[in-house]
Amino acid sequence: MRKKIIERTGVIRDYDLHSGSVRFWYAAIYVLCAIMAVFAVFPLVWVVLAGFKDLKEFMSSTSIMPKNFSPAQFVKTWSQLGLAKNYLNSFISVAGSVVCALLFNGLLGYGLAILKPRGYGVVKKMIMFSLLVPATISIVPLFMNIQRLGMGNSFWPLWLSYGANAMYVVLFIQFFESLPKSMIEASRIDGCSALQTFFRIVMPLSKPICAVITIFAINASWSDFLLPYLVLRGGSKQTVMVRLFVFSTEQTVNADTMMRSVVFSMIPPIILFVLFQKQLTQNNVSAGIKG
Amino acid sequence: MRRIRKHSDDNAKLMKDLRSWLIMLPGLILMAFFVWEPLLESIRMSLFKTENVELVEFIGLKNFISVIGKANFTQALINTFAYTFWSLVIGFLLPVILAMLIGETARGKGIFRTAAYLPNMLPGLAVIILWSAFFSGGKTGVLNILLGNLGIPTQTYLTKANLVIPIIITIATWKGAGATALIYMAGMAGVNTELYEAAAIDGAGVWKRVRHILIPAIKKLAGTMLILQIISVFQIMYEPMVLTKGGPDNASLSLMQLMWQYAFGGSMDYGKASAVAVIVTAILLLMTAIYSYFNRKESDWD
Amino acid sequence: MKKFSLITALLLAVILLLTACSGENSEGDTSVQPTEAAQISKELGQELDSFSDEVIDADLKCTITLGNWPPDTAAPSEIALFEGYKATMEKQYPNVTLVPDYYSYSLSNYVPMAKGGTAPSIFQPPFTDPQLLISQNLVGDVTDALAEIGVLDKFSPSYIEMLADENGRIYGLPRDGYVLGMHINIELFREAGLVDDEGLPIYPKTLQELAEYGQIIHEKTGKAGLVFPASETYGGWLFTNIAWNFGCVGNSALEYQDETGRWICNFTSPECIAAMEYMRDLRWKYDALNADTTTTDWAGAHSELGIGEAAMNFAADDSVDQPTSNKGLAIEDFALVPFPAGPAGRYALAGGTCYMFSPDITADQGRALMAYLKILGKLPFLDDDIVAGMRSDYAAKKDRGAPVLPAISAWNDEEYNATKRAIIDEYCNVDMRLYNDFFDSISEGTITLKAEEPVFAQQLYRELTAVIQRVITREGADVVKALQSAQESFQEYLDDEINN
Repeated sequence: MRKKIIERTGVIRDYDLHSGSVRFWYAAIYVLCAIMAVFAVFPLVWVVLAGFKDLKEFMSSTSIMPKNFSPAQFVKTWSQLGLAKNYLNSFISVAGSVVCALLFNGLLGYGLAILKPRGYGVVKKMIMFSLLVPATISIVPLFMNIQRLGMGNSFWPLWLSYGANAMYVVLFIQFFESLPKSMIEASRIDGCSALQTFFRIVMPLSKPICAVITIFAINASWSDFLLPYLVLRGGSKQTVMVRLFVFSTEQTVNADTMMRSVVFSMIPPIILFVLFQKQLTQNNVSAGIKG
Repeated sequence: MRRIRKHSDDNAKLMKDLRSWLIMLPGLILMAFFVWEPLLESIRMSLFKTENVELVEFIGLKNFISVIGKANFTQALINTFAYTFWSLVIGFLLPVILAMLIGETARGKGIFRTAAYLPNMLPGLAVIILWSAFFSGGKTGVLNILLGNLGIPTQTYLTKANLVIPIIITIATWKGAGATALIYMAGMAGVNTELYEAAAIDGAGVWKRVRHILIPAIKKLAGTMLILQIISVFQIMYEPMVLTKGGPDNASLSLMQLMWQYAFGGSMDYGKASAVAVIVTAILLLMTAIYSYFNRKESDWD
Repeated sequence: MKKFSLITALLLAVILLLTACSGENSEGDTSVQPTEAAQISKELGQELDSFSDEVIDADLKCTITLGNWPPDTAAPSEIALFEGYKATMEKQYPNVTLVPDYYSYSLSNYVPMAKGGTAPSIFQPPFTDPQLLISQNLVGDVTDALAEIGVLDKFSPSYIEMLADENGRIYGLPRDGYVLGMHINIELFREAGLVDDEGLPIYPKTLQELAEYGQIIHEKTGKAGLVFPASETYGGWLFTNIAWNFGCVGNSALEYQDETGRWICNFTSPECIAAMEYMRDLRWKYDALNADTTTTDWAGAHSELGIGEAAMNFAADDSVDQPTSNKGLAIEDFALVPFPAGPAGRYALAGGTCYMFSPDITADQGRALMAYLKILGKLPFLDDDIVAGMRSDYAAKKDRGAPVLPAISAWNDEEYNATKRAIIDEYCNVDMRLYNDFFDSISEGTITLKAEEPVFAQQLYRELTAVIQRVITREGADVVKALQSAQESFQEYLDDEINN
């Protein structure tokens, strides 16, 4: 579907490069891009380097390079903080969130983009409206609702909250609307119910957008900490980011340990990025957002 | 589809609608529980005197009057607009420029794109903690080390009232600009390269092609991005909470952070917290309304 | 009246506690010798064994969640200690289920939990919060459980005031108290030439000296003289002590009740202005403060002192493990000295932590919690288990390299306090010359203990922190104007909250 872009797609065309000044500016563009790349990557490199320092070195050394590259500090932090448990919690939280994000938002998008029952316009407007209001704004009453239902200290509210994401619904709507209507109608004629059509025809056709939403949901639920912090307080189910938030507010962790926790919290997103780099940086993902 | 419907009788249509609503029901319940009801609840709570989560008595707009009357509200409001201002100065054009630059590269485009997008994948909280070490004021602060190599003496950053907001915006921009640039690149990719060729044959220089072809092509997208950016700036809360705790002297206190302070910062005043939430919502809706008023013809929703 | 009785109680407690660890070890001998007192304590313990477990029915059946369980980040010895308490409890009360909870109290996280019914059965708020929690019905009543176990009358009156409602119902128990002083990094004092012939630090006795010494240390070592955590509420908290020493007491108090009962905030007295000008001068005149003052928090301040980036830190006797065992400062390079005197007085802030309980606890849970606190040695009982508990507590401290110091007790029970004192003496691992001035100033009354400001202290601190941040980050900031606006803001808060 997408052709490999190797040839020049920018404003500057090949023959422009015959001009000396254009060649100069073209070189400058490369320099600027390189600076940008360094700027984007350097903090990450730094935090890993900083992780090798102990408290004293971290707080008193004026060198960016650590004295030694022994992984001992990382190993110590990992076992001392018991991060394995938090990792597991995060993975559980992420897995459920992805399922909810695909299922509930997908069904809602399906209804609004394809089924379109009478009155669907109102819901669509409400969804669009929800896009404009930051989720954190109503975190207090939301937390109270969760408590009232006795869902505190459980993954359920976190999973289900990903089933109520206006952005994902909109992405689904946009994609579903672009699906060939003929295939959907054909499945109806074959006697499939609306729900069967969704699972057998619509979702399989929507793999690209499902992939995008999966990646978004993994990343978002991994990084999320405000609602998880309020819901998962106490020891047993805290995720990595909740731990990090607790560290940053409750001051029980030394500055060097904090930086290593930061490194640990970044590893899964970076792995995800490396794996899905193409999908993430290709145009269709981003294009979906422009609404 | 319309035609098929026309022929079917009303009853079948009703059943079909019902089934469709049934399919949407789980999603709708979740939206109601997680988004809509809490929003309405905020409005209700803002009109009540609260004792913890219980609504004690209806007091009309007293919460609003009390909240707005305080110096820290004025400060947070000004700060929030300062956040918006700096976000536009630092963060609005940069992605466009990045997109243009990366778009021009032929070889290495993939690498640049990857590098630009990378920070966006990192957890926001981790990013703030990481950058706090860069702006740390002692001689061990990373920025001080780097500038020290250039012979610039040690500075403090987070203690300077006029610097904290630009710093927080810089961090947010570092995280988000690359991803936004990719969105612009998608928009720019929509331009048929033959247009550039044709313009070039007509004698239009590179800059002219940018001005008359490229920029108009992304204008509408830029409008959308602008409103998204403003919404995201209004959400700023944990960034100052973690980085500066709102200081120095409330210089980085945001409206959302003020809301958090009312709710969880010791006074447990959920009524006033909700009043702040309602004010932020109102400001956001007002700004969106203004935007869509000027933009309504182009809107593809409705 | 309330303040007076608290001070008296603390003073009494401290005097009772401070006798042994001061003299014998003056040669710097840190070896442990069971003292006479310790022997006596054992005997006492056996005698008092008549206070047997039968007070609480061993068949008690319920489940309690234990907040403040040491997190995974805590020292292994501390975790082991609490596991030990748990095992003892489970042995004595096999039908009581104990659920450890890492919950660490803050007002903000507690309220929704109490409301939602998920608060742990027991948790530990600071003494600033009980009255607020009680007035909002967010904590459980343990009066009956206390009466049953027989300690109701051993409460010092000041704690009854702090932990009871107007009907005398009690909702909490004191855990421990602290007195604010100053932590010293002797390494930096040495480097700056501020040590005497014996190598003891020559520390500032007055705030004026503090500024001057801070300047000297900064000039000689390049490190900060004083680390001042001017973030959130910490800055204001420490500043109140400075302000008292500048004379913000009595008629010039930061907050007081006028004849009509209205609470008045007073930040613009000449004394308070002078105190704030002092803060300003610490930064701009003496350059004695650390760099990122406004983002330094409590833990950050301890780090700076512990790793030798700052020489002095206003901190209390209960946090001596922070710079030492936690951040790595050698125990012999650490000293605790009294809070410096000001031009108008010499006060030291005294406070503490208490145990409080979920609003949902049942009578049985109340009994089980008292049994648990008894095992922890937090009730004024002496038996083998408790003595053993105290021992393991101090052994654990010593084990991880934290100074074992005389603690400030909150119970009015002579025997209990004397025993505790004797056990501490047994485990003392520091050169007491580095601490004597601090403890002597309290026991000799050369420093006056003073409780935190009576109403809405946290909000008061927040307002004052903002002023401090302003005057130390903007050179030439208008001190009076900043105080005035903070005063207006806090007055408004007081009017909203209690003046109506």
